[in-house]
Amino acid sequence: MQLSPRHVLSSLVLGTSLCSSPALAEMTKTLNLNGTTGLIDMPSGDAQDDATFSFSIGNIGPITRTTLSFQATERLSASFRFQAWRDWDAVIPGDAKETDRSIDLRYQVLKEGRIAPAVTIGLIDVTSRGLFASEYIAATKTFGDKLKVTAGLGWGRLGSYQGIGSPFGSRPPVDPVGTPNADQWFRGEAAPFAGVEYKINDSWTLKGEYSSDAYLMEDGERGLIERDSPFNFGIEYQRGPAVRFGVYSLYGSEVGLAFHVILDPKSRATGGIVGAAPVPVKARPARAADPDAYDGGWVTQADAGPILRENLAKRLAADGISIEDLAYTATTVQVRIRNGRIDAGSQAIGRTARALSHVMPASVEVFEIVPVVNGIGASKVTIRRSDLEMLEYSADNATLLRERITVTDAGAAPAFSLGDENLYPKFRWSLKPAVRLAEPAKGDIGLRLSGSYDFAPGLVLSGSIYKQLASNRDSASPSTSVLPHVRTDSGLYTEFGDLGLERLTLAWFAHPAENIYSRVTFGYLERMHAGISGEVLWKPVDSQLALGVELNYTKQRDTDGGLGFDEYDYDVVTGYVSAYYDFGNGYLGQLDVGRYLAGDVGATVSLDRVFANGWRVGAFATVTDVTAEEFGEGGFDKGIRFSIPFNWALGTDTRRGFGMTLRPKNGDGGARVDVDDRLYNSLREYHTDGLDPDWGRVWR
Amino acid sequence: MKQLAAGVVLLAVLTACGNDKSGPNPMVSAIGAMAKDSVAKVKARKSGGKTGGKSVSVEDRRAELEKAGKPILRVSSKTLGQTSLLTVLDAKGDVLTWKTRDGATFSQRSGVLIQTRGLGADLMSAEAPSVGQLMRPGTSYRRIYYFLGDDDQGTRRTYDCTTTIVGKESIEIMGRSYNATHVSETCERPLGKLNNDYWIEGASIRQSRQWVSGAIGYVEFQRVID
Repeated sequence: MQLSPRHVLSSLVLGTSLCSSPALAEMTKTLNLNGTTGLIDMPSGDAQDDATFSFSIGNIGPITRTTLSFQATERLSASFRFQAWRDWDAVIPGDAKETDRSIDLRYQVLKEGRIAPAVTIGLIDVTSRGLFASEYIAATKTFGDKLKVTAGLGWGRLGSYQGIGSPFGSRPPVDPVGTPNADQWFRGEAAPFAGVEYKINDSWTLKGEYSSDAYLMEDGERGLIERDSPFNFGIEYQRGPAVRFGVYSLYGSEVGLAFHVILDPKSRATGGIVGAAPVPVKARPARAADPDAYDGGWVTQADAGPILRENLAKRLAADGISIEDLAYTATTVQVRIRNGRIDAGSQAIGRTARALSHVMPASVEVFEIVPVVNGIGASKVTIRRSDLEMLEYSADNATLLRERITVTDAGAAPAFSLGDENLYPKFRWSLKPAVRLAEPAKGDIGLRLSGSYDFAPGLVLSGSIYKQLASNRDSASPSTSVLPHVRTDSGLYTEFGDLGLERLTLAWFAHPAENIYSRVTFGYLERMHAGISGEVLWKPVDSQLALGVELNYTKQRDTDGGLGFDEYDYDVVTGYVSAYYDFGNGYLGQLDVGRYLAGDVGATVSLDRVFANGWRVGAFATVTDVTAEEFGEGGFDKGIRFSIPFNWALGTDTRRGFGMTLRPKNGDGGARVDVDDRLYNSLREYHTDGLDPDWGRVWR
Repeated sequence: MKQLAAGVVLLAVLTACGNDKSGPNPMVSAIGAMAKDSVAKVKARKSGGKTGGKSVSVEDRRAELEKAGKPILRVSSKTLGQTSLLTVLDAKGDVLTWKTRDGATFSQRSGVLIQTRGLGADLMSAEAPSVGQLMRPGTSYRRIYYFLGDDDQGTRRTYDCTTTIVGKESIEIMGRSYNATHVSETCERPLGKLNNDYWIEGASIRQSRQWVSGAIGYVEFQRVID
């Protein structure tokens, strides 16, 4: 028998689910049918634990709500919901199905104290045409460790049953659709709601509530459900920390079902990164004992360089690291590495330093490690070999090593470097299964053939072709947008461009001066647009602020996925001035001001929360001079995006992940050309704000 | 929808190909691992539960290990549900790093655990007592365990510890008996308590039961071959 990491992993997964009980001693903050914190159909005053990311499906008769929620800070959370009403034509003829997308925001104004309840103010469906729009204030108090009581007041839908009057005036109709409906908020009839939650044990919870939603549209207008009673009750079952089910009796007539997946981006499902231990640092003999070992005469040997490079490459290959360049003197070595697999920059640096300790002659005291991204030296981490040797087994060696290293601008490769001949395959290709989702559980799967060829570090020809294998997308309907159809014809590109050339570009990346990085990309940039895109970024390695400018000239491609430009006859110059700011604790902000694809002028604000393990959840909004009417139902471009690294779920070394951008409504305003490898995010990982949060992995 | 489901199955069967080594396809490796495990289980069942076919006596096993002439550390863990024989990967001063066949490591300073790697919830480093300290019962000292916690950020647990001498005990390790002093280490912090046990023979630790991390819990070590 042996201690295999895989067994460790499975025992940990098991352990986590078995050990979850003590953590639940405090009552779980549960989710409701809307995928937000609450009772059954009503919200509560609670908030989820910081950073909780949840995916929920709630079913109420012919209504299905699919919701993604993220607890962005301890108090603020946001949700994105797809709602579908089936049998929509039961009473009024028309489409058999109606769909709507909505965004919720909630803020916990008061945390639960010894006496004070938790109080949350929430806005449901803040920007769309208002099929689900409501606002509420809810208070929740826990009694002991078994009972929770919630009471609240709702407006909009949540004020539609047994109202108590309109404290803040009447509710105007939604106009225009797609912008925040601020003039509606907390207007019109208000109605009280309430509920209780009783925990039987760690797995089972009973819930009951009095709902203030009259389901006017579903019951009165459309005849979808019968609302016979305001009372809902049901039972929920928690399986491990991540999965929760609920079954309910709703409104005296319907059965409700809920399913939640609750993820914590901060802790890996496996409890830690698995994968083989690093090789130990190789100790040099003491200088007094073996002074000859420290003689620097080896640098004059002609074949020293190639031998060292080959030995180092062999050691680094085990960790998926390849060498871009190597330069040395008798006392210093600089190695430029490309990290293809390890998700943490600090761990890639640690593994490289360990390998150097085995390969470099004893006279080399200074290790300069330059992580290279797209041919650009992202930063230079300088480690003294004696620190590495001394701290390997010291207590708190991560902190101690961080104090002794420096992270600086990478600079140019030293003039005496060996060059990049035959160091890694210049031509790389892959054929992989791929998923393209238009929304959760809707999209297509297929095969993607990708290839790239490195002419020189930073000069790359690359492209990809995608063939759909299966799809459950709705068939594309022609866009009715009054703007140039720079984005709204995406359905046509999917339908007609099956076996389509996604990208074919020649890109040139450079680091022309200290703190300055540049990119020029030419060719078929994305599925819908082709042309040339250039970018310059200013980003000192230890700066929270970065500034960039981008300029693009693009033509719109044909929908057939080929090389032509005949269908649209549309070309445009777009460009932006961008500011990036790292607020700390993983919160990144970005502001772009400029001209967008439809020729509109405006600005984009985005805020992302990034985790050291690669999780990323963010939101963005673009306001341009396109009016809400011109944009269409969405009003202006906005949405949320997230990416989940596979290593978080599986614990293995991989840089791959799964990501999505979700918009309530696709429009042509505020659209940007989708170029690969924009500079900021690819470089940030190896700057201090990217390296420091998980620096401890340098010893992993 | 049916079409999509069929596609998902197809995808699971397909293995990515190419020379772009940006990491193994995790799904494929996970499925491969599961398949390997079940094949191994079936094989074990067929051979009547005995891995390797015939049973080997403890004495023979020890003789075999002694003949190889390499130091061996026997590690067992209830959490991990298994026992394994480790060899030395690295020796620096009083620190020995022991390696499992799968590439996980345990580093001990004179037998006191200071690091693990490759277990997932690893002990990244530790401020730990010396054997001399363990043998001074009643004096209190500080012990710090360093981990990677939430989102791989460094965390630590700091304890106040003391030891007591339980007494002389005769222990058996793979068919050989040793007379050792059983020392029990008790460590406390406001949020919890842990207990390490050592069986010390002269100035070196022959056998121990030491805490690794919250998820791994305790691991038992036995020095089989010196």
